[in-house]
Order: sequence, then C-alpha cells, then structure tokens
Amino acid sequence: MGAGMLTTAATAAPPRSATLERILSDYQAVASSLPDAAVTRDARTQAMRELSRFGWPKSSDEQWRYTNLRAFEAVAAFGPAALVPAPAAAPELPPALPGFERLVYVDGVRYHQAARAAAGLGGVAGTQWPAEQRLGLLCDMFASDVAALRISGTAAIEVLFLTSAAAAGASCYPRLQVALEPGGELQLVERHLGAPDAPTLVCANIEVVLGRGARLVHYRLQQCGLHTAFADTLCARLADESSYSVRQVAIGAACARTSAQVRLAGRGAALSWQAIAVGRGQQVHDTALKVEHLAADTRTEEVFRGIADERARIAFSGHIHIASSAPGSDTRQSLRGLIEGAGAEVDLRPRLEINTDEVKAQHGATTGALDENLMFYLLARGIDRDSARALLKWAFLGDVLRAIELPAVRRAAEHGAAGQLPDVMAVGALA
Amino acid sequence: MTGTVETGAAASAAAATAAPAALLDIRDLQVKVGGQQVLRGISLTIGAGQVHAIMGPNGSGKSTLAHVLAGRPGYEIVSGSASFEGRDLFALAPEQRARGGLFLGFQYPVEIPGVNNAYLLKAALNAARRERSLAELDAFEFLELVRAKIKLMQIDESFLSRGVNEGFSGGEKKRNEILQMLVLEPKLALLDETDSGLDIDALKVVANGINTLRGPQHAIVLVTHYQRMLDFVVPDFVHVLARGRIVRSGDRTLALELEKRGYDWVSGQAAA
Repeated sequence: MGAGMLTTAATAAPPRSATLERILSDYQAVASSLPDAAVTRDARTQAMRELSRFGWPKSSDEQWRYTNLRAFEAVAAFGPAALVPAPAAAPELPPALPGFERLVYVDGVRYHQAARAAAGLGGVAGTQWPAEQRLGLLCDMFASDVAALRISGTAAIEVLFLTSAAAAGASCYPRLQVALEPGGELQLVERHLGAPDAPTLVCANIEVVLGRGARLVHYRLQQCGLHTAFADTLCARLADESSYSVRQVAIGAACARTSAQVRLAGRGAALSWQAIAVGRGQQVHDTALKVEHLAADTRTEEVFRGIADERARIAFSGHIHIASSAPGSDTRQSLRGLIEGAGAEVDLRPRLEINTDEVKAQHGATTGALDENLMFYLLARGIDRDSARALLKWAFLGDVLRAIELPAVRRAAEHGAAGQLPDVMAVGALA
Repeated sequence: MTGTVETGAAASAAAATAAPAALLDIRDLQVKVGGQQVLRGISLTIGAGQVHAIMGPNGSGKSTLAHVLAGRPGYEIVSGSASFEGRDLFALAPEQRARGGLFLGFQYPVEIPGVNNAYLLKAALNAARRERSLAELDAFEFLELVRAKIKLMQIDESFLSRGVNEGFSGGEKKRNEILQMLVLEPKLALLDETDSGLDIDALKVVANGINTLRGPQHAIVLVTHYQRMLDFVVPDFVHVLARGRIVRSGDRTLALELEKRGYDWVSGQAAA
C-alpha cells in the first residue's frame, strides 16, 4: 500500500449514509426559499457542512445507542412542512395559562404572536452544535421561523409548537431562543403538541442565555402523537448567580431524543433539571444531558424518573463534568427507572467527571420493579393489587411532578403522564 | 375463658373446647424464612373483645407471626393453620385479609410520597365497606368521620394532603398507623411494636387510640418487646415467645414478672 493511498484514506470524509444524502438533497431543493430572518443563509450552509462532517448518527455510537434512529430515517421529506404562516383557521389549542402570554407556532411557523414577544431576534448567537448534538444542525438548516425572546424584567410566556395534520410525512423545525438580561426573570412553558397520522419529524432547537442573576423556570412538555419522531436539542449558558430550572415531561412521540448541554459558566450559577419520561407500546425516550461546571460554587440538581411499560425503552445519560476552574461545585444526581413491561427496558447512565478538589457530589441510579415493601403496605390496607400498582407508579413520578409549581402546568403534566398510565386514571389517583 | 392459650400438647386438647366466638385460631403454625425455621409450632386462639400481648426477645418470631398472619410474601408456611372467623386465613390474599377486618400496624411504616394520606385512607375504608356490603362514603362523609379521629391522635389536619408518612417523624408514623386503624375499625388489629421509638407523651397518645378501639367487636394483639406499653393498654392475656414457640402464657402479671426477671428467665424453657 503506497503512502499516497494512506493520505487519501486519512483525509476522506466519512461515507455518507443514505439518510444524509436525502437530507442534503432535500436541503438543496428548498434552500433558496428558506427565510433569512430565521437563520441566515451562511449559517444554514455552515450547519450543512458541519452535519456532513459529523455524518448521520449511527446506533453503534455510544451517544446514539438508545435512540431509535430508524424512526427519524423513516421521514419521507426533511424539507419543512411550512414556510409561511399557517392559514387563518384557528388551530385547536389547550386552555390558556392564567397570567401567561402565549405564542403559537404551527408546523414551525408563527401563527400568532403576543406583543411583548415581538422583541425580535438577537441575544443568542448561533450555537456551535457538537457531534452529540448534531440534530441541532438539522434544525439550523431547515428552520422556517424562530421564537426569539429577550427579557429584561419579569415575564411569563407560553410557547406552543403545534404539528398540524398537514405536516404528515414532512418535517417541522421549532426554534426557540431565550435571552434573559441580567436580573431578568422568566417563567417559560414550552409545549409540543399535535398528532399527524403519518411519520413526521419534529426537530427543535432551544438556545438559552442567562445574564448575571437571571432566573429562568422552564417547563417543557412533549406530548406529540405516536407517528412523530421528536428531537430537541438544547444549549444553555448561565452567567454568575443565575439559575435555570427545567421541569421536563416527555410522554409523546414514537421516538424522542433530547440532547441537552448546560454550561454553568459564571460563579454561583445553578441548574435544577427534573424530568420524567413515560413510555408504552414501543415508544423510545432517550435523553442525553451534559452539564459543565466551568466556574466556582456552581450547583446542579438532576432528577430523572422514567417508567417503561409494555415494550417501551427509556434511556437517560447524565454526564456532569466539573472543570478545574470550578472548585466548590455541588452536584446531586438521582436517576431512577421503573420497568413495568416484560419487554421494557430502562438504561440509566450517570457519569461524573471531577477535575478539582473541594467538590460535593452525590449520585445514585437505580432501575428495577416496584418496591415490594410499598406494595405490601398498600395491600395490607385492603387496596387491590392493580390499584396498588397504579398508585405506586404514580408515586414514582411524584418527585418531579410535585416540583412543577404552577398549578395549571402541573395539572397539564399530570394529566399527560396519567394518560400514559391508564391504570392510574382508573384508580383516580389524580383526584 | 373465651380467650384460650395453649402450648404444645395442651393445644389439641383445647381445640375441641375452644369457644365458638374465636376470631382467630392458630394451630401448630410452623414457618420458615429464607430456609430458616422461625416459628416452631404456634397455637393461639383469640376471641372478639380480647387484648393479647405477645412479648419476647429480639429474633423470637414476634414480628414474623404478625406478618405471616397479614400475608406478607417471603414466608414459607411449613405446616399448621390459621382460621379467621372460620375462614382459612392463608388461602386469602393480603388485601382480602385486610378487607375482611385484619389490620397490621407496621413497626416501620413506609413512606409513599405522591400518594396522599386522605386518598389512601378513603380508598382503604371504602374497600372495607364494599366487603361488608356497606355504601361507600363520599368525600364529605369521609372527612367528617376522619376529623374526629385525627383530633384524637393529635395529628394536624393538614397531614391529610401530605404523602403517606412523607417526612413524618417516627412518632408521627406510629400515630398515623393508629389513625388508620381507628378509621378502618378492624375486627383484629395486629400491632407490631407500635410502641418502639415513642417518647412517653407519644406513647400515651398511641395507647389512648388503641384503647378507643377496644370493645366487644374488636380484638387487639400487641406485639412488643417492652412492658411499658402494657401500663397503658392493659392486656387480658400475655404470651412470651422464645425461639419460635410460645413458652409461657398468663395474665398481665406475667409482663411485670418479665420486666423484673428478664427474657433469660423464659429463654431456657424454649431451649428445653
């Protein structure tokens, strides 16, 4: 073998998969019609190059091992389902949240916008998505619109991303940018809804930047239909003394993948990430969360509860990296999985990397069946076995559901989660 | 005597003359846990209206007896029988035993965050009422019933909306157990070391609750290590367990004697 051949082999791009070829082809077909206001042409081109460089993910990659990539590959068209605002016919919306302004996006395009949120773009620079967040590049390439929020005071905003029946077989690219000025406070509800009757891709990007002392409480409800392949890619950067609380409920979609990265860049910044995932049938919910402690006295609280019923698969990878620049960091991680179905699977992967001294770190990950002691206690009170099982499943999710402080959001989350657990509904545990 | 206590060979002779009002009749019960024999032939008859105390050193089988009767999994019944109101107790699932009027007060009540106390109490009560062909209570009727009992047990009403035993102190958990007992009004209450971990004030509250249940329709079995509970809930019968056997039975004076002489006094008889 000659030296020239070796050089060629070393510098060659990875072979393109059929899926990547389709993505690039679909992009070329629509590129000229994609609006610059959402993402500039240069940024889209750069995203395309990056995705080509990374390649389409493979199940053999550790980071994508639990993602049902086939569900994403089954989408007929990667081009956006909509490029212009939806027609005037009002979509069916859930009840409004008291005290919240509402923004509605249908198939990734703004349907209605409240006055305050017209603050415009800006504040969040284009994110450089790493390989483990490469689906973010897909959204950068194809996004038709963006919900951009810049908050300097106090606000409460709900952003609804609906996927309409018209999007069936195509793709939607919700995009949300949130910038909180120093001292700003925002309660944000991000909700994904809609149930097209053919395989549909919903690929969302969420970019968050918190200024010094800013506080963001971010409720995330994913309730897409069972023909949806859902991917959300989140990147957050926190300045000094800012706090970011995420309450995430993932119950919908055939396959859902959350790729999140939170950088605690300023001294005293704090993250609280509490999430549940409930899967039935053959649903797959996969979350990869990476938290980077980059400054002193930063804190992370990470709680995950997942229930896999029937043949569902739930995965959560919680990677916490504490840099040498982050003494005094404090992390608590509690990951628990409940396997309810004979063919179900839960995979929890805690990972803690510490590169400095003076760190407090607690972490625990357990997966198993319902606690027999708890079960016997309920049986010994005369509760029948099916009801006891349902109650304990509900209790299992209680840590996270109770952390949702807004009653209206908690009710929505509870009803959504209970909808995945018919036996819970039957015993009236919600009452 | 309605309540009869026999050990060994005396048990079979007494069986023929046991009072028809026997609520629970245990005959030569032998039980293994993890392959180890823990109960080695327990015979005991408990009549309605009676209070029995079962005492014994650690590891004597007291709690095993209570849990086997309540139906906890993990116990192997090697031989013997137990009938509850004439029904084969061991043929019933734990929840059927509970609905039929058998209550186990746990030594270590579990915490179940996410299931609130009011929900559990109401569900348990209505399950028992259905079993007795009584109408279920609605929320208003339930609250009316439970309020008086909460007051008796000196528990704050706000606890109803909290998770079952969630964040409760040891004493609060025990008071909650007795509250559940009072709401459910079981025919037979098996109270497994309900007195453990209680200070004297809490002990009095718990004892007062237990005495409230006392009556001709209800039997109570106090499983305890110490005599002090029996100062407040005076038993009709006292049994001493050692190494899986009832080695001595008597009236309340037996507990006082044990207090003076210690369990070594009876342990020798078990070894014999």
